[in-house]
Amino acid sequence: MAQDDHSAHHVNYGAVFVALCVCTGLSVLFDLLSFENRMITIVLVLAVAVAKALCVMMFFMHLKFEGNWKFVLLAPTTILAIGLPIALLPDIGIHYYTNLAPQDGTWGAEMDEYNETHHSTSVVSHALDE
Amino acid sequence: MFFTAFIGSYIVLRIGSKGWPTSYDDTHINVWLGGLNTFVLIVSSYFVVIAHEAMAKKQFAKARKFLLITLALACLFLCIKGLEYKGKFDHDIWPGNIAETPGQAISKVDRQLEEVVRNQFAVYTNGGQVDVTQAKDLSTVNVQLSIFSKSDGGDESLREQAASDVILYEKWQNLHQHIVANVSMIDVPNAIGPDYLAARAALAEGDSLPILTFGEVDDFLQDLKADKTYASSVAGIFDPHPVLYGNLFASIYFLMTGFHAIHVLAGMTLFVWVLMQGSKMDEKWTDWVENSGLYWHFVDLVWIFLFPLLYII
Repeated sequence: MAQDDHSAHHVNYGAVFVALCVCTGLSVLFDLLSFENRMITIVLVLAVAVAKALCVMMFFMHLKFEGNWKFVLLAPTTILAIGLPIALLPDIGIHYYTNLAPQDGTWGAEMDEYNETHHSTSVVSHALDE
Repeated sequence: MFFTAFIGSYIVLRIGSKGWPTSYDDTHINVWLGGLNTFVLIVSSYFVVIAHEAMAKKQFAKARKFLLITLALACLFLCIKGLEYKGKFDHDIWPGNIAETPGQAISKVDRQLEEVVRNQFAVYTNGGQVDVTQAKDLSTVNVQLSIFSKSDGGDESLREQAASDVILYEKWQNLHQHIVANVSMIDVPNAIGPDYLAARAALAEGDSLPILTFGEVDDFLQDLKADKTYASSVAGIFDPHPVLYGNLFASIYFLMTGFHAIHVLAGMTLFVWVLMQGSKMDEKWTDWVENSGLYWHFVDLVWIFLFPLLYII
């Protein structure tokens, strides 16, 4: 990579920088919006993260101008990224056994009331209150 | 690959847990500080890339300036991270320290109050006012301290302090005995002694005394903190706050952000090394700047995913 003359490719780094800042603002905005369905927030912020990562990799890291060998480099981490969750899923993700963790116990009406008053507000609304 | 394993494990553990702390009360995650740190890293990534561009154009003084800005931004990132960590430590958010159930929260108050009493008593055992062979045995020290507080002569203010410390010991003992017996502090004022035994004897077949509740212990601690005599001594005791899966969250948070911070430090070392060349920095260092820049972009990439995963989701 170091031998390649990347300066031959003109990249407007300022525009990439602005795009990354806008994406970061969008992530915070999606959290502030507090969608009824939490899954919408999760999908949106992860989509923004992927877009930011692509911006950094393609333009800041010049992968846009590299040959296809770059995909070979990604192979080990892709295998790990897919393999690890699959390996852990039966034990931790699905719990094929009866889970006796103390956290799963019921702690009575007093704790239900406590949890309701302490755990109902989002991270951002608290941060705004401070 | 390192962070792929971390993030993959986090996702599986998160999906596999029946609950997860997400509110600010539980995690003290400050999304604004996280967002600011994301911005700082993006700016630093921008400066490192234009530093490399300046190197390619043989504008070495310019490149040095941009690298210096990158290094300063890396320092700023770590300072903000330190601020965030302090926010966690102020609430004792650390793996292994978080009470996950009401029982654990009650026991934590008990242990912390015992530590306060132990520290208070150490003043007298170390100062020679109380001379006992077993300084760790709080009940023995308490008896001797009670005698000292009622004695004549010597430092009067110290004797007054000793009298209040004896009462603090008795308050802690009262809490501890209620925890051991698991009886209500309100309905059963004494958890040992004749009154307690009489209350138990008066129970009908199959009945039991009201149990100790989390709210009672919380009220007990708040009353103690509101009492001017003990306010300064017990100020460091954390309010009981059970957080289900709080320790798992804390382990993941500190592991991932901690290792990321180590990577930031490694990147800073690369920048310091090249900046130390000063005016000797020439085209020979172009590859160094490019490769350390690539490393820095990886640091940025990891944070791009850590921010939504840990701070928002």
